[in-house]
Amino acid sequence: MTDDNLDQRLRASILSEDLDTSRLAAAVRNQIHGRRSHGLRWVVAAAAGIALAIAVSFAYRAFFVPPSVCVAAAQDHEREIVKGAPRHWLSDLSAIQSLAATRGVPASAIAMLGTTGYRLERGRLCFLKKQIYLHLVYSKDGAEYSVYLRPVTSEAAFHHSVREVSIGAEDSAYFETDQLDAVFVGSHSGAAAAFARAGSRVLTKL
Amino acid sequence: MPHLAALLRVARRLTPEPMSAEDLVQETMLLAWRGFRGFERGTNARAWLFRIMFNVFHGQGRRELRSPELSLLDVRPRFQEAIEIAEALNALSLEQRTVLLLCVVEGFTCREAAGILDLPIGTVMSRLSRARQELRESLAPMAKVAYR
Repeated sequence: MTDDNLDQRLRASILSEDLDTSRLAAAVRNQIHGRRSHGLRWVVAAAAGIALAIAVSFAYRAFFVPPSVCVAAAQDHEREIVKGAPRHWLSDLSAIQSLAATRGVPASAIAMLGTTGYRLERGRLCFLKKQIYLHLVYSKDGAEYSVYLRPVTSEAAFHHSVREVSIGAEDSAYFETDQLDAVFVGSHSGAAAAFARAGSRVLTKL
Repeated sequence: MPHLAALLRVARRLTPEPMSAEDLVQETMLLAWRGFRGFERGTNARAWLFRIMFNVFHGQGRRELRSPELSLLDVRPRFQEAIEIAEALNALSLEQRTVLLLCVVEGFTCREAAGILDLPIGTVMSRLSRARQELRESLAPMAKVAYR
C-alpha cells in the first residue's frame, strides 16, 4: 500500500464521520457572551463605585469639612480681634462703605447688618486665602464678632443656608447670597451662627 | 463557527471522552477569542487555532494519555474499514497519531505541523514516516482480506 493510498483511506474514513458541532458552537457562543456581559458588569460596577466615592467625597466636604476660607477667617479673628494684633482700622461708617464699594461689596450691606442688633465698630480690608475680603467688626453685649464679606466667587462655593463650624476656640458660620460670600466668626459657642442667621435674613434682601 | 469541526475531529482523537474533547475545543475557542489581537492577519488562522488547542492540551498536563475509546468515536459499526482504521490509529502513540491527523487528515504541511506542535520539522517528518509505517502494518491483514 503506497503512502497516497494509505493517506486517502485514512482521510476518507475520518472525514466521513458525522460530527455535530451545533451544541459545541452554542456553548462557545454562550460562554463568550457570558464573559462579555460579565466584563460589562465589572465596568458598570467600577463606574458606580467611583461615582459613589465621588458623591461621598462631595457630601463629606460639603457637610463636614469647613471651607478653607473659614479656617483662615477663624485664625484671622483670633489674631486680630482676640489677641488684638495692631492693625490700621477705619471706624467711620462712610469711610468703611467707600472702602467696601472699591471691592464690590454693596455699601447697603454694612448698614443692613447694623439693623440686626449688632453694632459696627470698625472695618478694614484683609487677605484670606489670597483673596481680599472686607473685614468688619461688630459688637453686642460686650462681645466682638468678625464678618468677612466679598462678592460671590466660584472658589468659595458656599451654601445659601447658614452652615456652622467650630475651628479651634472660634465659632464660625458661613453662607452665600446671590451677591456676597459671608463668613461670621465669634468666640462664643453658637454666637457667630446666631449673627450669621440674622445677617443672612437681611443680606438676602440686597 | 469556522474550523470547529476540524478541531473537534482531532480533539476527539487526543482525548478519550467526547466531553473532554468538547471542553478542549471550547477552551481553545475562548482563548482564541480572548487573544485575537495576537493573531497576525494574513497568516493561517486554522494553524493558529490548532496551535492554541495543542498548547491547551499540553497545558492540561495531557491528563488523558490513554487512547480514545473506539465505541465513543461515533463510527458506524457497519463500516468495517472505519473500525479497522480507528483501531489502527488508536494503536499509534499520541505523538505519531497527532502528526498523522494534522498532516494527512487536516492537510497541514510538515512545516505547518512543526509550527503547531512547536517541534523541529525533522521530528515531524520522522514521526509521520513511522506513523505511516505502523498504520500500514496494522492495516495489512485487512488489505489482504479486501484484495482476496
